[in-house]
Amino acid sequence: MNHALRRVSLACLAMFLLLLANANYVQGFEAGKLANDPGNGRTFALQYQYQRGSIITSDNQPIAESKHIGGVYSFQRYYPAGPVYAPVTGYDTPYRKTGIEGTEDRLLAGTDPRLAVRNLIDLMTGKPRKGATVQLTINSAAQQAAYKALRASGLPSGAVAIQPSTGAILALVSYPSFNPNKLATLNGNALNKADQKYLNSPQQPLLNRAINDTFPPGSTFKIVTSSTAFSTGKYTPDTPYYAPTNLKLPGTTNQLINYDNLPCGGGGKVPLIYAFTVSCNTVFGGLGMHLGGSALRRQADAFGMNRSLRIPLLVSPSNYPPVSNPDFTAYSAIGQYNDTVTPLQEAMFAAAIANHGTLMHPYLVQKVIAPNLTPLVTTTPSVLSHAVSPNVASQVGRMMASVVSNPVGTAHGIVSQLGGITVAAKTGTAQNGLNNTGLDDAVFTCFAPVGNPEIAVGVVVKGGGLGADASAPVAVQIIKAYMNYLKSSAKR
Amino acid sequence: MSAVGATGNGSGNTGSMPGLAAVTLPRGRRGAELLMLAFSIGLVLFAYASAGLGLNGHVPTGLATYGLLFAALMIAAHLAIRRLAPWADPLLLPLAALLNGLGLVMIYRLQESGRNGNPGNVISTMSASTTTFQLAWSAIGVIAFVAVLVVVREPRSLQRYTYTLGALGLVLVALPALLPSSISEVPGTGAKIQIALGGFSIQPEEFAKLALAVFFAGYLVAKRDVLALAGRHVLGIALPRARDMGPVLIAWGASLLVLVFESDIGTSALFFGLFLIMLYVATQRTSWLLIGALLFVVGAYTASRLFSHVAVRFSVWLHPFKFVNVFCGSPSVHVPCVPSYQLAQGLYGLGFGGILGTGLGHGQPYLTPLVQSDFIITAFGEELGLTGLMALLLIYGLIVQRGLRAAVAVRDPFSKLLAGGLAFVVALQVFVIVGGVTQLIPLTGITTPFLSQGGSSLVASWMLIAVLMRISDTARRPAPQPIQDEGMTQVVRGG
Repeated sequence: MNHALRRVSLACLAMFLLLLANANYVQGFEAGKLANDPGNGRTFALQYQYQRGSIITSDNQPIAESKHIGGVYSFQRYYPAGPVYAPVTGYDTPYRKTGIEGTEDRLLAGTDPRLAVRNLIDLMTGKPRKGATVQLTINSAAQQAAYKALRASGLPSGAVAIQPSTGAILALVSYPSFNPNKLATLNGNALNKADQKYLNSPQQPLLNRAINDTFPPGSTFKIVTSSTAFSTGKYTPDTPYYAPTNLKLPGTTNQLINYDNLPCGGGGKVPLIYAFTVSCNTVFGGLGMHLGGSALRRQADAFGMNRSLRIPLLVSPSNYPPVSNPDFTAYSAIGQYNDTVTPLQEAMFAAAIANHGTLMHPYLVQKVIAPNLTPLVTTTPSVLSHAVSPNVASQVGRMMASVVSNPVGTAHGIVSQLGGITVAAKTGTAQNGLNNTGLDDAVFTCFAPVGNPEIAVGVVVKGGGLGADASAPVAVQIIKAYMNYLKSSAKR
Repeated sequence: MSAVGATGNGSGNTGSMPGLAAVTLPRGRRGAELLMLAFSIGLVLFAYASAGLGLNGHVPTGLATYGLLFAALMIAAHLAIRRLAPWADPLLLPLAALLNGLGLVMIYRLQESGRNGNPGNVISTMSASTTTFQLAWSAIGVIAFVAVLVVVREPRSLQRYTYTLGALGLVLVALPALLPSSISEVPGTGAKIQIALGGFSIQPEEFAKLALAVFFAGYLVAKRDVLALAGRHVLGIALPRARDMGPVLIAWGASLLVLVFESDIGTSALFFGLFLIMLYVATQRTSWLLIGALLFVVGAYTASRLFSHVAVRFSVWLHPFKFVNVFCGSPSVHVPCVPSYQLAQGLYGLGFGGILGTGLGHGQPYLTPLVQSDFIITAFGEELGLTGLMALLLIYGLIVQRGLRAAVAVRDPFSKLLAGGLAFVVALQVFVIVGGVTQLIPLTGITTPFLSQGGSSLVASWMLIAVLMRISDTARRPAPQPIQDEGMTQVVRGG
């Protein structure tokens, strides 16, 4: 029987070797895969056992931080300013992470490979793991002013401010917003309730109107039409152009009219700068037809339209779809028909003109700071496209300045509110809805100061009526807040 | 005569050569056993302190009482061995003590989870006095261990009770199936394997395993010649006669009945495997293994087609992570738990532990349902890591190896068969449960010897170790010195 017993012992040995090999496989090789499985409650709980990094503004205001609360879930996310920064920070819930919380998650959580060495050192020295701090380009003064102004309008709206020379986003707001603190709760019932409330709300507070909702650009698109014209070299702001009261559109019985059916000049020819200043539709409709849909589309592309961006939040594309019919081209040249833009795109129009025709890639993350305060990542500004030549930019800039400074300009009304700051702008009043029955969207794009641009702003107020009435004051508030901030920080 | 006696001495009967006794006499090695036992006890106390420190930064207040009780129990077992089985294998007791102690530590750690301000969730299936109960069961286990050594002075004496124990084994297996579900069903599992009365439950199959091993050994020793020799050779394989197939078919049928009526796949596989290996050892006929394997495959396949709970085990094994959700069972999120939830949680735990583990008290083993019984090995894997898990497997491997060594060394065929069978059943049980929770094979719920919470398994495991020690004691005991020789030598000396 000993022979058989020896064979049995070999069988036992084989069984143990199989168990050992399998344990090595599961705990050694598969551990990483297991950790990333969505059903893994251990890694899920782990994310609340370490202090997640803060999100701070460029002027060092904390806008998302982890507070120690004790218990199994040791840390609770807290957003001090609630809805003001919500479109930027997003929220951090057990379900999902959005906004910067989502895109920079691995750095904030401290699991990014770039933090691995520091984590190891912390492990050796017995310090708890901490996430990295993400510093944004957002300026708290501009952001607060923007939110306050949009909330005052009470209408669904979005506004974005950009530093033209770098593309750094100074403000990014959406209204109505939501309170991320309600979603950052670790109480399942409360979370579920808040989530359902926001998801089912007809006001769509979770929608980021600054970058993920699009509106017709209206007359602000005349910046693109003008740029296309000047880039041909055949036009300048002083070129006289045919300005009928009604523009007959070829092949249809439709007629393009000006706002409130007003005439443009004396019914003959007007300089383009005048048409731009008072925003004549018939001039730019005719000019657009003459230039052609494909030329307008190329120029729209150069301003960053027809593409999605990552800032690092995903930005919905602003669209200028291909147009072939001349009558539709006329409409599209004044920002109607199928043209759609985000408030960010509005800011990018002005930013490109302000930066001598060079459009910088907009971005939100200034730098990432490791827990030991050494910078981990610093964003270097990059060029998105060369929208127009510096010469064309200065021509369009001159026209935009005229919109505010000329007493007949559509935005001349804001001068009294500006306190001496010079602004170059373009208003837009976009008709929408079936047969244009919807309330007009108020659109505004501008940069300031005119001589040395520090900020470019795009604002869209849905159903706000005239761009100069509803959107321009928002832009003014943002510009004033930011210029005051620059002045006071220069003194310091 | 004197010449014959002298030759006898010289040719190897070393017992009567006083000068060489120190070198060649098999020694009891009880001192080595005590030293290793002290090491085991020290390790257990260290682990206990470590679990407390990991949970809340304090050495557990019960360290002195629990530690002293545990140490006293193990020392008592050692003293009993000194008296009752002085030649027994010195390694078995320290190994069993280490497993029992580490099991107690893990049960304490799991019981404390979420209680007394410790991190984690309270495991609802464990009470705050589970560890105390488990320690009491350990005491009963050691008493049973000593009792076996007292009652069974000679392993062969068990052979007399072959059929009595066989009948007892069958009754123990069948009992839960015959009782109403309210008494015999383990809550939440559907397995009818226990007898629960007034909050106190035993699992008779754990003891049936021992009784049936004795029965198989006695029966097979009696019938081995006819089972081994009769029959024809087909394709070089010696096939048994049809009428000799009876016992195999009965064992197979009985294990299938366990499967069908008690929904206990693990135990049925264990019993059939035990019988098959003992049949193979008794007859040395490979054909029995082939026939048995064939029957097992047919049985498993038919069961998976006929019974949904068997089929579910297979699909869970193949796709453990399908549909598993973090929010399983959460009343606010309404995500139901899927059948693979437990296996997936166990695997997450193993992965979470990685190579070195989180340390006792630092993991989250409480996330795995019923982690204190079938899945306790994943709790060890999580908190002691791959390193700790491999160490535990090696401890089991050593127990199996010492058992098989006793089987090889003992002369009497009944003891040989019994020791071989018992050693194999430990290996098979560890393989089935550890392989099951690590996704090597489909999961079937059986206990992890010595570690799992529950009294029956612990007591039966101690009794199994007692039988192995009794057999090794017999194997290693020096042959009694022939008195005749003694006289002759003196005659020679005197001459």
